[in-house]
Amino acid sequence: MKQVGIVGTGNIAQIHLEGWQRLPVQVVAHYDVRAEAAQQASAKYGGKACSSLDELLDQVDIVDICTPSHVHRENVLAAAAVGKAIVCEKPLARHLRDCTAIVEAVERAGVRMFVAQVVRFFPQFAQAKAVLDSGAIGKPGVIRTSRAGAMPRWGSFFGNFDLSGGVILDVGIHDIDYQRWCFGEVERVFARGLTFTNGLQGDHALISLRFVNGAIGHIEAGWASPPAQWRTRLEICGDAGMVEWDAEEDTSVTQIMLDAERTGKVRTVASPLAPDDNPYFAELAHFLACLESGEPFRVTPHDGLMAVKVALAAIESVRTGQPITIASFEEPSA
Amino acid sequence: MSEQPVKIGLLSFAHGHAHSYATCLKKVPGVEIVGIYDDNVARGEEAAQQHNVAFFAAADALLDQTPDGIIICAENANHRLLVEKVAGRTRYILCEKPIATTLADAQAIIDACAATHTKLQIAFPVRFAPPVQWLKETLDAGSLGRILAVQTTNHGSMPGGWFVNQTLAGGGAVIDHTVHVIDLLRWFWRTEVSEVYAEIGESLLHPNLGIDDAGLLSFKLANGVYGTLDTSWSRPASYTTWGDVKIEVTAEQGVVFVDAFKQNLTVSSDGIGKTRWQNWGSSMDQGLINDFIDMIRTERTPSITGEDGLRALEVALAAYQSAKSGQVVQLPLEKA
Repeated sequence: MKQVGIVGTGNIAQIHLEGWQRLPVQVVAHYDVRAEAAQQASAKYGGKACSSLDELLDQVDIVDICTPSHVHRENVLAAAAVGKAIVCEKPLARHLRDCTAIVEAVERAGVRMFVAQVVRFFPQFAQAKAVLDSGAIGKPGVIRTSRAGAMPRWGSFFGNFDLSGGVILDVGIHDIDYQRWCFGEVERVFARGLTFTNGLQGDHALISLRFVNGAIGHIEAGWASPPAQWRTRLEICGDAGMVEWDAEEDTSVTQIMLDAERTGKVRTVASPLAPDDNPYFAELAHFLACLESGEPFRVTPHDGLMAVKVALAAIESVRTGQPITIASFEEPSA
Repeated sequence: MSEQPVKIGLLSFAHGHAHSYATCLKKVPGVEIVGIYDDNVARGEEAAQQHNVAFFAAADALLDQTPDGIIICAENANHRLLVEKVAGRTRYILCEKPIATTLADAQAIIDACAATHTKLQIAFPVRFAPPVQWLKETLDAGSLGRILAVQTTNHGSMPGGWFVNQTLAGGGAVIDHTVHVIDLLRWFWRTEVSEVYAEIGESLLHPNLGIDDAGLLSFKLANGVYGTLDTSWSRPASYTTWGDVKIEVTAEQGVVFVDAFKQNLTVSSDGIGKTRWQNWGSSMDQGLINDFIDMIRTERTPSITGEDGLRALEVALAAYQSAKSGQVVQLPLEKA
């Protein structure tokens, strides 16, 4: 049975841990720069609280990196150097040079790395791609996806542009990766947003993509909605049909409860799935299955890098007010 | 409402909205359609028969009926010719959108009306859709706080006919669908579009169409709000409805989603072979026609002016310029 170590103990680490617990692996180690956080994870999920990354690496076959993106590089490089299989949370890194270093390191070390672009494992998104690939809607022409809510409150790094890159790199990257998965490479990007003007707590962007195949993409990435609001949508229009989904409209459970004031304002909306179809479980199950069979991962290190590249180009477009060509884009040095 | 008699003439049924306007006119007490003129005699005679009014093979003959107002639903490029013909022989004109295919024609239309003291209204009916009016009132009330962004769509089905003829229509999906939503944004915030970037696709959704059928505008307004507008003819024939107007506002105090034509029955019919939406919302065309007739009866200024028509057209033309150059285009455009 493979031994798993988790680096980082935040929100996504806990979601991954719930997934690992249902798979035929053993979570044997936790590491966090905050020692007490690693101890809490150890107490809750079992496995040892390690006092250093090296200590964790000594004990595991698989390293799951769930830290904020600005420290992905050092963690991936350390894990690759000692030949571990790697799961790296999205975005692959905060900067393009870090992504390049990561991709080179895993190639040089000959280790396998899966980038956790989880939207490819959301059933509605995966099936929309299957509909597209079946030819049922013809050649794709105009694609719209939206992912808008409030900024997460569980990590202080989200609100720091130097660490998170704001809403485009943290949220928009999901849709950039999904659209690139469906429609291929991006030719150019143009974006408008609030990254540099509204404070990241109210960050928001509207991104236009032009794909090499001629298709046009639109992405909304938002942290400017009220906290109770989180809406995702997709629409793919082809030359022979279209497919659309809207979290607000296509859901299966709504519960409205009387509260103390008997207003009925307490509302629960849910879209329950079988445990195996939970996308955060499905991506780890996919990783493990491919690791054992040798099949390629649905998300490659290059995919992880390209999603970051397009996201950084979008941020640059917001900053400069100009369209950015992806092939020639270089991240301005910080 | 006063029932002072009002005589209306209809010039051209090239644009199918003329049928809707004729139907709406008949519902306004005291309004008489005095006749129809169309340069396409077969089309005009058929419309005249359908609406049970007289057909005139010459515009002058219709104008001899001394109509109080004229509604022009010709092909976009033919608006100017007809406006110049009727201005001064009627006191009120309702002209279908877009006002024209060039800024020069749009300005000539405005000038011809000004020179003859003819009041010109542009047909932007979406201002009269109650969900859109609800949004206007909400914005005016100020409860949303500072407005940050607006994400909009005016999707449609591919209309075919002269709508895909560059000379007659002035372009495809972008000129057809930019003007409605841009007019609404200018009206909401009494502002202008200050810059536009656009990705436009030709024959992207309809192989060999030969004209733009996909458009995505990214714009900035003079009031600081930025936004996007998807003008694509992206609704396939198998879709539930013809298209949409959606306006989504992100603001400091909240978000608002308006889907103007989402008041629907879902009708499944084996006879039709698909499921479709049947709209039960209030008719925006009736609102537009009521407003036009009210303007005539009260002799007031138009609620939607020629200038409104020109400014909306300018944004569509700027989008084409941007797609051609690959650059952001600043407005107002330099006069050619």
